[in-house]
Amino acid sequence: MQKLLIPAVIVVALLAFPSCTAETPEISSYTIADSTGDWGYPSPYTHYSRGPGYTRMSFIFETLVWKDASSFIPQLAEEWEYIAEENAYIFELRDDVSWHDGTQFTADDVVFTFDYTQQHPYQLVDNSIVEVAEAIDEYTVKLYLTRPYAPFLQDVAGTQPIMPRHIWEGIEEPEKFAAPEAVIGTGPYTLADYSKEHGSYLYKACEDYYLGTPVVDEIKFVRVSAEMIPAALKEGSISAGDIPPEVVSEMEEAGLTIITAPVAWNAKLTINHHRDPLSSRQFRQALAYAIDREALVQITQRGHALAGSPGMIPPTSDWYNPDTPQYEYDPAKAIRLLEELGYGLEDGYFIRDGEVLELELLATADFKEVGQFIMQQLEEAGIKIDFRTLEAKTVDAKVEAWDFDLAIYGHGGLYEPSILKRVIMDEGFNSARYTSNETLNQLLQAQLTEMDSEKRKDLVFQIQEVYAQDLPALTLYYPKWYWAHDGNVNLFYTMDGIASGVPIPLNRMTFVE
Amino acid sequence: MFSKRSVITYVIAFILILLLNFLLPRMMPGDPLTAIYGDEALVAMTPELEAELVERFALDQPLWQQLGAYFVALFQGELGYSYYYNAPVLSVILGRLPWTLLLVGTSLLLSTILGIVLGIESGWRRGSRTDRTLLAGLMSLNGFPDFFLGMLLLIAFGVILGVFPLAGALTPYSGLSGLALLLDVLRHLFLPVAALTLAHLGDSYLLTRNTMITVLKEPYMLTAKAKGLSQRLLKYRHAGRNSMLPVVTRTGIWMGRVVTGTLFVELVFAYPGVGYLTYEALLARDYPIIQGVFLMVAISVLVVNFLIDLSYPKLDPRVSYAY
Repeated sequence: MQKLLIPAVIVVALLAFPSCTAETPEISSYTIADSTGDWGYPSPYTHYSRGPGYTRMSFIFETLVWKDASSFIPQLAEEWEYIAEENAYIFELRDDVSWHDGTQFTADDVVFTFDYTQQHPYQLVDNSIVEVAEAIDEYTVKLYLTRPYAPFLQDVAGTQPIMPRHIWEGIEEPEKFAAPEAVIGTGPYTLADYSKEHGSYLYKACEDYYLGTPVVDEIKFVRVSAEMIPAALKEGSISAGDIPPEVVSEMEEAGLTIITAPVAWNAKLTINHHRDPLSSRQFRQALAYAIDREALVQITQRGHALAGSPGMIPPTSDWYNPDTPQYEYDPAKAIRLLEELGYGLEDGYFIRDGEVLELELLATADFKEVGQFIMQQLEEAGIKIDFRTLEAKTVDAKVEAWDFDLAIYGHGGLYEPSILKRVIMDEGFNSARYTSNETLNQLLQAQLTEMDSEKRKDLVFQIQEVYAQDLPALTLYYPKWYWAHDGNVNLFYTMDGIASGVPIPLNRMTFVE
Repeated sequence: MFSKRSVITYVIAFILILLLNFLLPRMMPGDPLTAIYGDEALVAMTPELEAELVERFALDQPLWQQLGAYFVALFQGELGYSYYYNAPVLSVILGRLPWTLLLVGTSLLLSTILGIVLGIESGWRRGSRTDRTLLAGLMSLNGFPDFFLGMLLLIAFGVILGVFPLAGALTPYSGLSGLALLLDVLRHLFLPVAALTLAHLGDSYLLTRNTMITVLKEPYMLTAKAKGLSQRLLKYRHAGRNSMLPVVTRTGIWMGRVVTGTLFVELVFAYPGVGYLTYEALLARDYPIIQGVFLMVAISVLVVNFLIDLSYPKLDPRVSYAY
């Protein structure tokens, strides 16, 4: 039986492109582990719609601009400029780039990519931002925008993978296009193998990459369960992987290098502001005073997090407004605010019109400790809490249907303030869907179209203040994430995340120079 | 040998299973779109993309139309197209199936054979020191869930001693082939198989031992003994074979659960099996995959049932006269 299995094990090897076989690498092999493994075929339309899926694709496909640890850097475009009066970006492209199959890369491929996404939206880029792409000459492209869009470099030029016209033209169902040609890009690596069931990838360096031969010849991605990643790192069978905060010091002692990401994700207390008594702003503020977010971080996250700012933007961010109302822990104030609303304490619980103040708190099992902590604190403040842990999709469905009082939730994307509009105003269960403050609505819209970064910063500052006053949701904490690696290459976190904000330290440029 | 009536029973059961299989996943709260794209902050979910996805997944069609399409496709041998994996369901499942079969097949074989042999020996020597030690030892092993044993084994032999690999079914891109590759696969297989075997050994052992004790009191055993048969013949052919019926049933039930029964062990060892696939598909509300896996489970239960029905008369001819 085992013998029969061996052929099944050997996954179809993909075509090796003759122009991309390295000879003298500095590091022959680098293995990266994660607990999911399979993130889809690393082509723009077949990778899964998550950060790790994008990252794997980004070793093969490149964007017009890219980022390093601190700034935007040229990639396929050497220079770019925003022309305000035309609301367009002009990009001067490199003329020494070729696709992995040897075909020359030109402006035509860029025009094609943006045309193609009009019919086939690429999942991580909003295709309504670019109205039309125009080739000025062979190596100059002009992108006209439908509206001014502040994070254009981050969300579009730095995220949209450029695809070769000669391969993708005529592909009607790109999400089913998983042929070897679907992974022909301009990047420093080519795909040598991908196995869905083993969750493994093998990349080979492209010797004649236009920025020089990559320093690592082979990159392997393998699947290792989260619990075993630290052991595998110590043993040396993998070179890098994400680790739980508890093992950080153990890993350091074992001689591994630890890096931590600027916080990008927050856990929130979502509040049903459509429902009485939570529709009262003062009531929501009382909740904020009753929860000790510092203690929450120490107890439930064992200190491996930052306490939440009620303005959502983390204190580590350049966009953070230090004047955001903070609601320092003050249970006495919470009680006073509730009393003002007509509640009276009786046997430890608040009562109004003969009814005990009772709220339902929903969370998934992941947030069980956080939920218990909040329940305890709110009960101490006199609010009776019915805490329930439910399966994730059930919580999503209840929150989406406004069938809840309080829920604990989380989402990422905090690097770029454009997230604020999406999780405050827009539809979707992880949004507060709060539209009753006209000032806030206008500010959220305006920051998205303000092309002057200083003015935009001012708008984002104002948003944090207004949002923190209204409190349609309360950010509880930002967890810290860690990666450990053997130090053979210098892994780093990209400014504001890879592309539109992936908080993973696997920038392809790490492996180039 | 097989009556028309039982064929009809199987067909009705199969159709009911197909219907349930279609309806159950859709009755779960949450829909695939929010499950796959919902909590990801990076996805630019424009109304246009949403419309395209809804159309691609056929979520805009009424339930009965989806059901109709499902049945039509099924009779053409198609299990559908996975939302999350972006691939035909059949190929996704078939990629994982050999690994699960390898894992389950090996451990099922080992736990059944060992269980029967130990059960016979133990029952034969009821009350002896061997019997008591085996009984106590295997009963306590039986109390551990398989994934817990798996973790213990993994920590002891993988992390501390470092003699077995920590994850996966083989070393990816090791460049091994032939015998070396086979050894690599076996090395990865050892701990998960050990965990499953140890956790399930108790079942077949206890069943065999119990029946063995009853069988030993049967008059035909006395007759056989009086005929002067050797102990080995008495133990294995006369008593042993008659003690196997419940174990065969248990093994059958276990085989029906092939896919789901190994879920936790596959998670612990990051083993690329169907159990883990089911878990991921449930999280992603990937209806086609869930349907595909459950259909496979249903078919295997029916087939195993059928095989057990066939094998009973062979093990104990008296079963044929039961009706």
